[in-house]
Amino acid sequence: MNPWRTAWTIARRDLSARFKGLRLLLVCLFLGVGALAAIGTLTGAIERELASRGRTILGGDVEVAVWQRGASASEQAAFAATGKVSGGMRLQAMARAGDLAAPIELKAVDAAWPLVGQFKLAGGRSIGAPPAGTAWLAEGAAQRLEVKPGDTVTIGSQTLRVGGIIANEPDRLGEGFTLGPVVIVAADMPARAGLTAPGAMYRSKYRIALPPGGDAQALAAKLKARFPSSGFELRTRDNASPGAERFVSRMGDFLVLVGLAALAIAGIGIGGGVSSYLEARRGSVATLKVLGATSGDIARIYLLQIGAAALLGSALGLVAGVLVTPLLGAALGDLLPVSPGLVFDPAALAKAALYGLLIALIFAAPPLLSARRFPAMALLRARVSPLAQNWRDAVVPAGLGLLAIAALALLTTKAKLITAWFLGGTLALLLLLGALGWLIRWLAARWPRPKAPLLRIALANLHRPGAQTGALVTALGFGLAAFVTLAAIQTSLDANIAARVPQRAPDYFVLDVPKARGAEFVAAVIKVAPAAKVRLVPALRGAILAYGPQNAMIRVADLKEIPEEAWPLRGERGLTYSDDVPEGNVVTSGQWWPHNYAGEPLVSIDEKLAAALNLKLGDQLTIGLLGVERTARIASLRRIDWDSMGFNYVLVFSPNAIEDAPHNLAATISVTPLPFGAEAGGGSVSATSSPQTPDASGRGELLRSLVRAFPASSVIEVGGVLTQARDLLRQVSLAILSAASVTVLAGIAVLLGAIAAARAARTYDNVILRVLGASRRQLLVLQLAEYALLAVLLAGVALALGSGIAWLVVVQLFAFEWLPAWPAVLGVLGLGLALVIGFALAASLPLLRAKPAQALREL
Amino acid sequence: MTSPLPAIAAHNLTLSLGSGDSAVEVLRGIDLKVPHGQTLALLGPSGSGKSSLMAVLSGLERASGGSLQVAGEDFAAMSEDALAAARRGRIGVVLQAFHLLPTMTALENVMTPLELAGMPDAKARAAAELAAVGLGARLGHYPAQLSGGEQQRVAIARALAPKPALVFADEPTGNLDAATGSSVMDLLFARRAEAGATLIVITHDPALAARCERVVTLADGRIASDATI
Repeated sequence: MNPWRTAWTIARRDLSARFKGLRLLLVCLFLGVGALAAIGTLTGAIERELASRGRTILGGDVEVAVWQRGASASEQAAFAATGKVSGGMRLQAMARAGDLAAPIELKAVDAAWPLVGQFKLAGGRSIGAPPAGTAWLAEGAAQRLEVKPGDTVTIGSQTLRVGGIIANEPDRLGEGFTLGPVVIVAADMPARAGLTAPGAMYRSKYRIALPPGGDAQALAAKLKARFPSSGFELRTRDNASPGAERFVSRMGDFLVLVGLAALAIAGIGIGGGVSSYLEARRGSVATLKVLGATSGDIARIYLLQIGAAALLGSALGLVAGVLVTPLLGAALGDLLPVSPGLVFDPAALAKAALYGLLIALIFAAPPLLSARRFPAMALLRARVSPLAQNWRDAVVPAGLGLLAIAALALLTTKAKLITAWFLGGTLALLLLLGALGWLIRWLAARWPRPKAPLLRIALANLHRPGAQTGALVTALGFGLAAFVTLAAIQTSLDANIAARVPQRAPDYFVLDVPKARGAEFVAAVIKVAPAAKVRLVPALRGAILAYGPQNAMIRVADLKEIPEEAWPLRGERGLTYSDDVPEGNVVTSGQWWPHNYAGEPLVSIDEKLAAALNLKLGDQLTIGLLGVERTARIASLRRIDWDSMGFNYVLVFSPNAIEDAPHNLAATISVTPLPFGAEAGGGSVSATSSPQTPDASGRGELLRSLVRAFPASSVIEVGGVLTQARDLLRQVSLAILSAASVTVLAGIAVLLGAIAAARAARTYDNVILRVLGASRRQLLVLQLAEYALLAVLLAGVALALGSGIAWLVVVQLFAFEWLPAWPAVLGVLGLGLALVIGFALAASLPLLRAKPAQALREL
Repeated sequence: MTSPLPAIAAHNLTLSLGSGDSAVEVLRGIDLKVPHGQTLALLGPSGSGKSSLMAVLSGLERASGGSLQVAGEDFAAMSEDALAAARRGRIGVVLQAFHLLPTMTALENVMTPLELAGMPDAKARAAAELAAVGLGARLGHYPAQLSGGEQQRVAIARALAPKPALVFADEPTGNLDAATGSSVMDLLFARRAEAGATLIVITHDPALAARCERVVTLADGRIASDATI
């Protein structure tokens, strides 16, 4: 007879239908797999939603975008030859209404817009592009300018009637991140308003709707090949919102890692649960061996039982994960680009289940293999000592399980480096916590015995044979440390954004200051805000087209995938030129060009980009600037202080390389004094005055005067961007904290399992103490003392480890100041500890009710 | 068919438990031959090594030294798993504390060794064996639903169901009252006689020992007396 079939027959017979004894394993897998399934399903659902709505989100099958110019006649003809075309442009601008001014995202569209989807105004009216002299305003713009339909707003030199408030803009998500609410106008409005003069920072967009069956990818490739120097940024319907997709994908990857850490904690519970289960089955194992079962039979029987429980726990977790997804979607709200709804994602569920089963394998293997090796008579004799864990036997299955988890995590993520670090860090943290648990047991055993008997017993319970102190310190310490870490990171970053960034960052960024009016612009600012510091830099946009040694340059278009660190290769980037090394930058190799340099065009690049692309001094770089290719030799590498929060450019050219291209200036205005020298940057014009801080009305006046004097320029308020950043940070923190709370729940499951496992021993202790005269109140105090002792230790471990990790992330990784809000951090930790003690006491109370006489008969 | 070899042939059998200074010599050179079909009682005070000798002879424990042939197999040279395999269908064990599997019914308890031995018709054979010990109406009962005497009868049925050549019973009446114990032993001896198996009974009870053909007395890990009645 097949030994597996025999084993299954016996396993099924021996397995309680209610999985008695294996419920801890069920709960742990339910929690861990459920969390992973929810995260995976949510991420997958959003990604699929983005993909399925790609055509609507993009506003067509293919989008061609180009900076600072419209498509040429031949380019437009090429678009038109392939399908229906809608053209327009996007730019930052300022809108005015009376005394109020607001930065907006101006979206100019032609009569063909929207090619896909329906545009609706508040009130339900479906409509297309606004007629000449009319604008559709987003709700935010209308509120800021205090206008309603029928009122007028001024943008640039044009006054427009507010035709309606936008209710649904079908291609909103595809437009990406904006620095202000959108205002939609007719296609020719920006030009008529003087916003598209040569050098102005606008972007032309052409959407193409292909006939049915049209191949968007092929068209994009064809356009790229036909117009290699055009500077076209091409997107297709299957990559309609790369920013949102990247955000969701990264967030999903990270949350999966947090979920995986929770599952690792659940694994400790699984190990404890399996150990307790097999301990309780010691008699059965012995009997089966007496009846002729070999160690292989024993392993098969209990592997099948544990496997069945693991499958059930995982399956329940998968169901819960799917069901909870719409709730998560609702809770995360604005953080998500689309609403996920109730979805079934087989790949995400399979991955979650696989993680769960691998974790179960890793943690169940040692007790299972120990039980297998026990000789029948030893099992019958050694009734009081727990089964010894045989880690040597378990090295192969546990090692293979760990490798499989690492491989699965690394193969299914794009952020491989971060994943590898996270996995390594989690393993190191678990090992550290395990060592701390061991140390605490060791110290408790050697600590001088307290005189108070209850405290003495409480201390002894930390190190008595079979005490689960190590597992508890690891499981609960990890979850609580994660709480402390997240709270400290979030509050630190928030404090930095709220307090420190405004001190260092300028108050305003201004785009499209006419090149010839730089001095006039500075004067206009100083007139209203005498304390202000103004910096002006030439601002151009271009894309890196090729790089490398002169005779072996690599075309960016030929790269299959752009590495993470080489992000400047993606699309167009800001470019500038300067006679001097930009302030805050340090030349790390090569030489800066002299003033009035007139030789071969030169460029200085960010040393990190050079490292990512293996670029050396003397290599060449070709950029596409307004449809023209320009090549410069790399003369120097720079280290950039990105923290200066002013203008920082990856590519800085010698003036003779690009200054002939039409362009404007960009400015930063710091109204408040800058203690950190944030004026650092490559300014061609700068002006400062005595330090005086204008109040809020003064700032409003500055904004209004700039809009009046420079109607074609657009102002970006840093305060608004910071508010957006803080909101995003809070939402991201909430998402991560939700995932991390599963680690605490898993830790509590481990705690309850440990209490259940020690139930017989604790009942015995309590009964003996009752026989000796202890009251129930004293027993309760004893339990409280024990858990309070554990809680104090856990608090110490969590605070030290959590703060340490948070400090590393905030100070070393983000280079921010260490500004945690301790009341919030301690509050989160206190909440976690209260949960732990509450659950522990609730689980222990039934033990206090044991009647001595009855218990003694049963023991 | 009866083998020409004895059912058990032990020579200078020793067993040590523990190691180093804490090692205890439990068996100190046992020489014992048991012919097929014999009934043998092992007597001796607590700690004399009776249960340990039974564990070694039944392959539940490996001897520390000496030689041991059981049903022609060299038990001294076998691994624990090989010993387990050797027990299947050939050796039945009845223990004082019954050691039924608490999560299985009486029928399932009896089926288990048959299934482990890969025997066909396990269910029918187990039901017949339980009927033979008077528990035909209790097949679906769990151990907790049976009296001590009934549990021991299930244990006897379980030990005898595979028709083993050798049956060990370790103080089988130790947890039963006198009347129940007596009826259980009647049953054990009757079933053994039907099967023609060799029976080794460990007991403190001289009356029970008197029902056996041979009585071996142990003291301090050695055979103190060996008498054929």
